[in-house]
Amino acid sequence: MATKNCHSVREFSELQESLFCYEIYPGMPLYVLPKPGYQKKYAIFAAHFGSIDNRFRVDGTGEEVAVPEGVAHFLEHKLFEDERGNVFDRFAAHGASSNAFTSFTYTGYLFSTTDHFPECLELLLDFVQEPYFTEETVRKEQGIIGQEIRMYEDNPEWRVFFDLLQSLYHRHPVREDIAGTVESIARITPELLYQCYRRFYHPGNMALFVAGDLDPEQVRRQVDENIARRNYRELGEIIRLYPDEPETVARQRISREMVVSEPLFNLGFKDPALTRLEGDALLRRESAMEIMLDIIFAPSEPLFNELYEDTLIDDRFTAGYTAEPSYGFVLIGGETRDPGTLYERIMEAIARARREGFSAEQFERHRRNRLGSFMRRFNSLEFVANNYLAYRFRGSDLFNYPAILHQITLEEVQSLLEEVLVPERHAVSVILPQKS
Amino acid sequence: MTADSYNTVLPNGIRLTFIPAAKFKTISMALFIHQELSAEKATLTALLPSVLERGSRLYPDNLALRRALEELYGAELSTDVHKKGERHLISCSLEMIHGKHVGENGQMLRRGLSILGGLMGDPLVVDGGFKDSYVAQEKEQLANLIRGLINDKALYAVERCLQNMCARERYGVFKYGQIADLEKISPVSLWRYYREILSANPAELYIVGDLDASRVEEAARETVHFHRGPQGDGLPETEVYFEPSEARFVEERLPVEQAKLVMGYRTNIAYRDPLYIALLVYNGILGSFPHSKLFLNVREKAGLAYYVYSRLERHKGILLISAGIDGSKYEKVRQIIEQQVEAMARGQISDVELENTRRGLINQLRAGEDNPYQFINRQLDSEIGGKLYTTDEMIRGIEEIGPGEIKAAAEKVRLDTVYLLQGGERTVPHGH
Repeated sequence: MATKNCHSVREFSELQESLFCYEIYPGMPLYVLPKPGYQKKYAIFAAHFGSIDNRFRVDGTGEEVAVPEGVAHFLEHKLFEDERGNVFDRFAAHGASSNAFTSFTYTGYLFSTTDHFPECLELLLDFVQEPYFTEETVRKEQGIIGQEIRMYEDNPEWRVFFDLLQSLYHRHPVREDIAGTVESIARITPELLYQCYRRFYHPGNMALFVAGDLDPEQVRRQVDENIARRNYRELGEIIRLYPDEPETVARQRISREMVVSEPLFNLGFKDPALTRLEGDALLRRESAMEIMLDIIFAPSEPLFNELYEDTLIDDRFTAGYTAEPSYGFVLIGGETRDPGTLYERIMEAIARARREGFSAEQFERHRRNRLGSFMRRFNSLEFVANNYLAYRFRGSDLFNYPAILHQITLEEVQSLLEEVLVPERHAVSVILPQKS
Repeated sequence: MTADSYNTVLPNGIRLTFIPAAKFKTISMALFIHQELSAEKATLTALLPSVLERGSRLYPDNLALRRALEELYGAELSTDVHKKGERHLISCSLEMIHGKHVGENGQMLRRGLSILGGLMGDPLVVDGGFKDSYVAQEKEQLANLIRGLINDKALYAVERCLQNMCARERYGVFKYGQIADLEKISPVSLWRYYREILSANPAELYIVGDLDASRVEEAARETVHFHRGPQGDGLPETEVYFEPSEARFVEERLPVEQAKLVMGYRTNIAYRDPLYIALLVYNGILGSFPHSKLFLNVREKAGLAYYVYSRLERHKGILLISAGIDGSKYEKVRQIIEQQVEAMARGQISDVELENTRRGLINQLRAGEDNPYQFINRQLDSEIGGKLYTTDEMIRGIEEIGPGEIKAAAEKVRLDTVYLLQGGERTVPHGH
């Protein structure tokens, strides 16, 4: 089968980094980032299938399918096993370490190794493309994932975050735990896993990123051969179905008691614009939003220092923004002795920022800070690879970040403050120390 | 290390290690001051990094400091305390983009070093003490950090196991100290304490990046130049050798969904002992990889845990096994774990287990050289452990280890304390 060799090179000249981009038939992007001098080689093979993709339409019949929460994550666990046992052992035979993760939007399978890279890459490509699910292995995994779910149930930071999402969203599946629930995973069967696998694990819905001291052409040839021998047909369109989500929040406040030493506080603002954005427009919104949040909440600004000196926050207090094509939100929070006072002080600070605006000095300082911090992260193969794919599945290119950062204006950042940090679309989630 | 490192001693007695590495985008630096771990001093030592980070003479408050870091293109500063064996360390580290990537080649190193040197060596001192309000606020933050241990149940269980296991050793002291000690600490007493250790205790500066050795030394001499007095006699050694008579069992209850089991073993092997590399391999076969006996038998075969692993406290000769489990299955899980440890002691190790573990460890060692802080951490381990292993020596050692040496290491391993955090009505004392 002939391969379209859509070869291009993306340059990040300030960092002297080059990214080699290929398209492997039928429709799978392959990225190779050469890292001279590195001993470690890293590869991540990802499917654009995350925890929020639990309703979709089947090509041809048009039939709508709804699957239990936690299927993408369950599938991730189960691909690591086949009739010969678990795949970890086969990576281990090459000294490689392997792992996988499932996010809201995608599933990644990865390994890192300093030796036997071609063998490991072959193994990665093979095990992800060769599913093997049985009644017995599914049953055993229900026990293991049940323990994983319980572990997260005891994790206060995880709980406060998902409580917030449940408050911000009425229906969007981002409100459900990535692993699902003990009840939802009890409904998973081998047939269901095969159905999701066939739908989403097609090269046209996947991407591969490889980083290390490697020859890009050699990697391309190997991937090409592996994919070609499986005789894929072109992928039809995947139609992901998300419920209509109102712009309003589901509820304004939620709290729960757990075994913690101090209350945990999360304040969220829902960004309704996100159902309309993708690609570089999404990346631009994210970049501008981060600068906006930095100007109000960063440790180099007065608010953080006032709150810290009043011992309302500790140095882990953060403000961040998450943007995907179907949802987006601002999240501000940390530990505090007094959630009520902290809430008031933050809302006052937002109102003050809106009245007073931002200065050009603040804007430039935070922009420089963001650029330098981003560049520093290029020491890490994992950072570049994992993030490149996450942005790729949103339709944007991480290597555009410096240019986009450069284009953002102070006015744009100020208008986001008006548009997103509005009282009508916020919710608060709190974990309180259990009384005993 | 396979990379050449450059070592020298600065005029004030601080040892400087420079590791040239062109592949990194950054310049990374870290300064460590050593102290002995002890119940009397732990809280004082633990309070220092955060008080120091609040301000130096040059950057007297957080706002000034944070802006200086932003001017350095978002340099990342962090201070902390570490526990390595019965050594307590204060660290201050700074990572920034190399000047060549932002059109400021040759400018960044000195600016970064002067922030680091100033924070550690030239702190803000008012009326013979640290600033009152900084000390008061950081005491409260430290108290929260100590109380906050319970927020992470897995970490909490590990710490409680060690506290019980080492109740009569210095190692049983929590690295953040204890709340009851905070009251007695004043801005003046804390400054006096710091001046003493800054002056007399061992200290090291590490720098990693694409730099020229003579420039690094020159910049370090000019920026990390605070006065130090004559060096002390050195810090006491960590106690490693124990023969527990029989295993203790400690159970505590908290209203949690998942029980945590932690089993603490004495290995009776120190970092500098001839069997240390055998112990590394032992730990790998037993539980530090997904191909290890613990993961395979507790998780993959029995489906009884999501996480189960063993790890070494390498400077203390303790091996810990941790698992998150269904509390009602405790007996079963413990039985499977003990069977794996017994199999190790009988020398039941397959060729595949040994070979996979060797390769896995060698892979970790090599990959560690792709991370500046792992480079630094290894040098520090050599310093504390009293034995320098280069990466190549370590790899050769791992390749040469045979089943006989692993069995010899295994025979020294003794179960000391089993800690179980069960679900249910709280029995854990408050303040823990």
